[in-house]
Amino acid sequence: MKQLVLVVIFVLILITSLVKNSTKEIEDQIFVINENIRPLKSELEDVLLEFNYLSSPEKLVQYQTQYFEKDLIKIEIMNIKEIIENNETLEINDLIKKNSNE
Amino acid sequence: MNNKKNIILEEYENEFLYKKSKTNLDIQFNRIAFIFFVFLMISVIYSIQLLHLGSLKSDVQTNYAPSIKDYRADIIDRNGNYLVKTVSSIDIGISPIEVIDKQKLLINLKWIFPEKDYVEVEKKLNKNKFFNFEKKISSTNYQKIMSLGDKSIRPEEQLTRIYPQKNLFSHIIGQIDDDNKGISGLEKSFNEKLKQTNEPLKLTVDTDIQFLIREELVKFQSIFRSKGSAAILMNVNNGEIISLVSYPDFDLNKREKIVDLNFINRATKGVYELGSVFKTFTVAAGLEEGLIDTDTEFLNLEKRLQCGKSSISEYDNKIPSDLTVEQILIRSGNVGSVRIGQKLEIIKLKNFLEKIGVLKKMKFDINEVGEPIPFRWGKCKLATVSYGHGITTTPLQLARAYAIISNGGFDIEPSLIKKDLKNYQQKKRIIKAGISEKINTILRKIVTTKEGTAGLANIEGYEVGGKTGTANKTSIGGYSKAKVNTFAGIFPISNPKYVLIVLFDEPKTSSEYIYEYKNKKGSYKGTPFNTAGWTSVEVAGKIIEKIGPILATKHIEN
Repeated sequence: MKQLVLVVIFVLILITSLVKNSTKEIEDQIFVINENIRPLKSELEDVLLEFNYLSSPEKLVQYQTQYFEKDLIKIEIMNIKEIIENNETLEINDLIKKNSNE
Repeated sequence: MNNKKNIILEEYENEFLYKKSKTNLDIQFNRIAFIFFVFLMISVIYSIQLLHLGSLKSDVQTNYAPSIKDYRADIIDRNGNYLVKTVSSIDIGISPIEVIDKQKLLINLKWIFPEKDYVEVEKKLNKNKFFNFEKKISSTNYQKIMSLGDKSIRPEEQLTRIYPQKNLFSHIIGQIDDDNKGISGLEKSFNEKLKQTNEPLKLTVDTDIQFLIREELVKFQSIFRSKGSAAILMNVNNGEIISLVSYPDFDLNKREKIVDLNFINRATKGVYELGSVFKTFTVAAGLEEGLIDTDTEFLNLEKRLQCGKSSISEYDNKIPSDLTVEQILIRSGNVGSVRIGQKLEIIKLKNFLEKIGVLKKMKFDINEVGEPIPFRWGKCKLATVSYGHGITTTPLQLARAYAIISNGGFDIEPSLIKKDLKNYQQKKRIIKAGISEKINTILRKIVTTKEGTAGLANIEGYEVGGKTGTANKTSIGGYSKAKVNTFAGIFPISNPKYVLIVLFDEPKTSSEYIYEYKNKKGSYKGTPFNTAGWTSVEVAGKIIEKIGPILATKHIEN
C-alpha cells in the first residue's frame, strides 16, 4: 500500500513536470512574441505622435493657407442634413431644426 | 555405531530467518525512499528552474515600459491625441582617450553628421576630455554610428517630455522641473500617478475645440488690447471640461520659468468681481424660495439707491421704473436685483450661493484654483451681492454654477479627467425642478430680444442663451476704470448641453472693429461701449459659430 502511494506521488510529480515543461515552451513563445511586439508598439507610438503633430489644428490651418485656401469652405450648420435609415427608406432631415417660435 | 548425532537447527534457523527478514524489509524501504528522494530532488530543482523562468518572464513584462526611473506617463485628449509624450532619445558622447584613429573617426562622423562643425570637434578630440558629440540623434543615425564599432563612442539614453500642441494646453498640463517633478497643472496634481503608471492619462478636453477657442481669444486680445482673457467650455450634464483656455499662455517645450503674474491661469486661479452674471443667481434663488415668479412685478423702482457711503444706480437710465422679474434680468436692472435680494434676505441668498458653489474654494483636478475673497454679510453687502458686486469668484466656479442652474438643478463636479460612464456619480438634485426651465427661457431672451444685452451671440442654429457681466476692477480704496467683461452662455437652450464662459480682463474699445448685427440687418464700426455685450459676447458668438459644427456633428458624449 505504502509503495502504491509513493508510486502515485511519483507519477503525479512526473506528470506535473511534463506539463510544466510543455507550458515552458508556450511561455518561451509568448516571451518572443512580446519581445517582437515591444519595438512595434514603440514605433506605433512614434508614428501616432508624428501624425498628431502633423494633423494638429495649427498645422492644418497652416496647410489651408499654403495649399487649400480655395478648397476648404465653411459649411453653415443650418445646411447640414442628417440621413436616417427607416426600414428600407432613407429620410433626410435638417441636423438643426429651426425653432419657429423665435 | 548407529549413534547419529542429530543437530537441531530449527531454533537457530527461525531466529536467523527473522533477522534476515527484518533486514530485507529495511533495505527495500530505504531503497524506495532513496529513489523517491532522488526524484523529489530532481523535481525540486526542475521546479526551481521553472519558477526562475516564470519570474524572468514577469521581469520582462515590467520592463515592457521604459525602465528608466524618470519615466512619466503620457497625457492624451478625449480623442486619443497626444498632449504630452515621453520619448526616449539617445545622446552620443566621445571619450578621446579611447580613440584609436582620430582621422578615421572624424571621416566616419562627417559621413553620418555632415552638418557639424568638425574643426570644433577636432579641437575637443585633442583636449582628451569626454564631450557630448550630438544630442537626441535619430534611430538611423544611432545604427550608423554604432556600426562603426568604435569604443570611444558612448551612447546614453535620455527621456524627453515633449508637448506636440505647444501652448495649447499649457495651463492645464503645467510644467515639470529638472528633477522630473511636476510643479504646476496636472503634472503637479497627478505627479505620483504619472510616475507610477504606464497607462496614458486621458483628459476630457478636445484639441480641435481648444485650438479654435484659443484662436479667437488671441485674435480678440489684440483687437480689445486686453491684459488677458479666459474661456471655459463645459458639459452641463456631467462637468466634463471640453476646453479651458487662459491667455497669455506659454510653450511648454521651452521650459521657461514663469514669474510674470499675467501668466496665471485666469480660468481657474483668477478671482474676479464678475458683476451682472450674478443677477441670474439672485433671480434663481428667489424662484427656488418661492418668493417671486418670472412675472412678479416690481413697481416704482428708483434710479439710484444709497447704501452707506456708496450709491447703487442703473447702468441704463432709460430702464423703466416698473419691471417684472424677467425684465429685470433681461435688461440687467441693478435696482430691481437689489429689491429681489432684499426680499430673499441674507440667509437665503447666502445659502443659495453656497449651494451652487461660488462662495468657497472648490476642489479641482489641478492645484491652481483661486479662493473667493471672504466678506461679512450686511444690509449693504446683500444689496451689492444681489447684482454681482462686492462678491468674487473664479470663472470655473461661474461655469459650474451656470451648469447647475441650467441642467435641471443637478450638482456637477467640473473635471479634466475622463472617467468611464459608470464612474459618474448619480446625479443629485440641489435646485427644485422647474427652476432651470424658467431661468433658461429668460437667458434665451437676453440673447434674442432687442432689450437684451447679448444679441451679438445669437448665432443661428445653436439656440444660445446667456447673461453678460461688466464689472470695474477693484483698486486700493475703491474701483478703478479697468473692467472685467464676462459672458456666461448656455446652448442649446431647449436642451442645455454646454456652458461657455468668456472673460476679458481689462479690455479696451476698438475703433476699427466691425460688428455684424445678429438680431437685425447691418453692421457697426467701432466698439460703442466697453461692456461685456460689445466684447465678450461678440467673442462668444464667434467661438460658437466655429465650434458649433464640431459639437453638433462630431462630438460624441462618451
